[in-house]
Amino acid sequence: MIKGFAGRVLELDLGARTFAFKPLDEAIARLYLGGKGYGTRLLYDLTQPGIDPLGPENPLIFATGPLNGSLAPQSNRFAVVCKSPLTGGIGSSACGGSFAFGLKKAGIDVVVVQGRSELPVRVEIDGDADAVRFLDASELWGLGTEATQKALGKGMHHAVIGPAGENKVLYAGIVSDARIAGRCGVGAVMGSKGLKALSAQGTRKLEMEDEAGFKKYTQWVRQVFKGHPVLGEKLRRFGTLGIVNTTNGRNMLPTRNFQAGHHPDAMGLSGEYLEDHGLVGVRSSCLHCPVACGREVEVPGAGRVKGPEYETAGMMGTNLGITDLALVNRWNWMADDLGLDTISLGVTLGFAMELQERGMLATGLAFGNPEGVAEMIDAIAHRRGLGDELAEGTRRMSRKFGGKEFAMHVKGLELSAYDPRGSFAQGVEYATTNRGGCHVQGASMYFESTGPLTINPQNLKLKAEIPVVQQNLACAVNSMVLCVFTTYGLVPRHVHALKPGGWMHRLARVLFENSGPAYRLIMGAKLFQATWLDTWLSRVTGMRFTPGHLQEIGARIFNLERMYNLREGLTGADDTLPDRILNEPLFKHMTSGHPLAELLPRYYEIRGWDAHGVPLPRTLKRLKVRV
Amino acid sequence: MTVTVELTYDMAKLLGTRAIPLEGPRTVGEALRAARDRFGDQGAAYDRMAEVAAVAVNGVLVAHRREGVRLADGDRVTFVKTAAGG
Ligand code: SF4
Repeated sequence: MIKGFAGRVLELDLGARTFAFKPLDEAIARLYLGGKGYGTRLLYDLTQPGIDPLGPENPLIFATGPLNGSLAPQSNRFAVVCKSPLTGGIGSSACGGSFAFGLKKAGIDVVVVQGRSELPVRVEIDGDADAVRFLDASELWGLGTEATQKALGKGMHHAVIGPAGENKVLYAGIVSDARIAGRCGVGAVMGSKGLKALSAQGTRKLEMEDEAGFKKYTQWVRQVFKGHPVLGEKLRRFGTLGIVNTTNGRNMLPTRNFQAGHHPDAMGLSGEYLEDHGLVGVRSSCLHCPVACGREVEVPGAGRVKGPEYETAGMMGTNLGITDLALVNRWNWMADDLGLDTISLGVTLGFAMELQERGMLATGLAFGNPEGVAEMIDAIAHRRGLGDELAEGTRRMSRKFGGKEFAMHVKGLELSAYDPRGSFAQGVEYATTNRGGCHVQGASMYFESTGPLTINPQNLKLKAEIPVVQQNLACAVNSMVLCVFTTYGLVPRHVHALKPGGWMHRLARVLFENSGPAYRLIMGAKLFQATWLDTWLSRVTGMRFTPGHLQEIGARIFNLERMYNLREGLTGADDTLPDRILNEPLFKHMTSGHPLAELLPRYYEIRGWDAHGVPLPRTLKRLKVRV
Repeated sequence: MTVTVELTYDMAKLLGTRAIPLEGPRTVGEALRAARDRFGDQGAAYDRMAEVAAVAVNGVLVAHRREGVRLADGDRVTFVKTAAGG
């Protein structure tokens, strides 16, 4: 077995209450690594087209990768893969916390959950004894994620759902510690199986090819992290909320359901503001992570809880016309405890507010008014009253009540808190990402709107290239499995030190913007190890990795996801953006919205796809994607 | 003609306000000079904070502080710092 992998896949059948340990398929691991890549390959191979995402035949796959359990910074992450009930296409989501560590210590790389239990069940995996226990979870059913994990105790590492997952809210997530695999409705799939919690523990040691070399190198990386302006400073000090003032200043902070990109009081939601008002602690929330980007806040009645991320501040804050951090803290805590994805939740609430504003549906919710929001969040999680409609997400609501032109989703997945009219590459990424409108499948906006060396985000230069490279990289990172924030560290410290007004900055920016195909060539080069991502992988597995290998593996995973979506009936027509984004100008100088139609053909060409967005046979052959 | 200069968090903390409405500036340079005046004897601190931020007009980065960029009524001149989130 390749080093870094435990070599075992655990198959659970919840209906029959049986389990089996199977060997990890080494050939798949070589091509796809673990995590999302391995999970996607399994999903493709195990399922027939057209299955019901909430039926017993939809496998729920928990997958770790070769770096999990290694104690590398940001490596306590796992991927969840299944058919998404929200989009009908590939569903994948990643989560921090500690479950990945528990699973790997139990000597398991992947868990495939099949079938459905008639009664609520939880599963305990004791890796040392090779024992799997199916236990009654009736008493836990109905509990929030916090109470559930408390009841399960600290002896094991858990992945659990809250009431939202139990009630199959289409954007319910799976929670480990204080982190959530929020996107695509993976929690609804877990709930549809009657599975309340999956817990794992063990004391097995991860075997590495070059353990001494790995340790030495990791010590050096930790020092780099410490001195890095993002990983060692900004994320540590302000968490992800540190970006609020940046996106607001660049007119791309969703406000009132993306009707605007700026809110004059958004500073009240920023990480800087939180540091001065109400921050009670800093926490890593993902085991062994030195970055510690989580914040702790005090919510009356709930105590010290994990504070909101940027996405939550955007979607449950300005997107609803709200800039009161205390309210966002409370709603964020509710969503985490109920097991809801705050991005989809915030967009769906914003959509409901606009329906009300336009007189299309009496939702009782209004922009800028917190009244009724907390009650609606609870109603959504329990599918009570109108909450039952909102639990279906924005796309389904727009089909039923109208408002397609301002339903802010791609492929059914609600957009994240970066308005792509201020970030054209991010728009291409949203439109083409296989799981739908999400920012962490590439984070192109970092290179055009928020990072230290941003190009002009509103011309066509490099706007098709950046998403391809970034999506490939994110696929690889999610298959190792590492936190995607690690990629922020790849931009060296001295680039951050460039003065925004200086000639060096200007020169670097012009060179980057005009690098064209050279950019892809450089990123795809297989010459030498250049980052900690490929170096770690090489030292752990003994295989040779370079940034170019990561691009290739990422492209393979991305194309397989694409083939899965095509098999499920999605087409190139789904590579689009909401009408509001395409047609409504957001900036003073704009006459229309995002120029997707001008960028998509180039994107397809770079990908090696035909004009309809279908991978060409030669592309699949080159990448060794078997379909 | 009214324009608004939006400050970084640190500047806002120093001055006690998030934004400065200004009457009359016709270019980015004029607006920034008028904003600096508000800081009085804290001007040096303002300069240090301004140095590490880019400037955007209505959300569009004015590539590298082009002081001559003309403003229109209602424009928003914002100091923007780089950041990473998710
Ligand atoms: S950087 Fe933040 S999200 Fe990423 S692993 Fe560390 S604590 Fe978790």
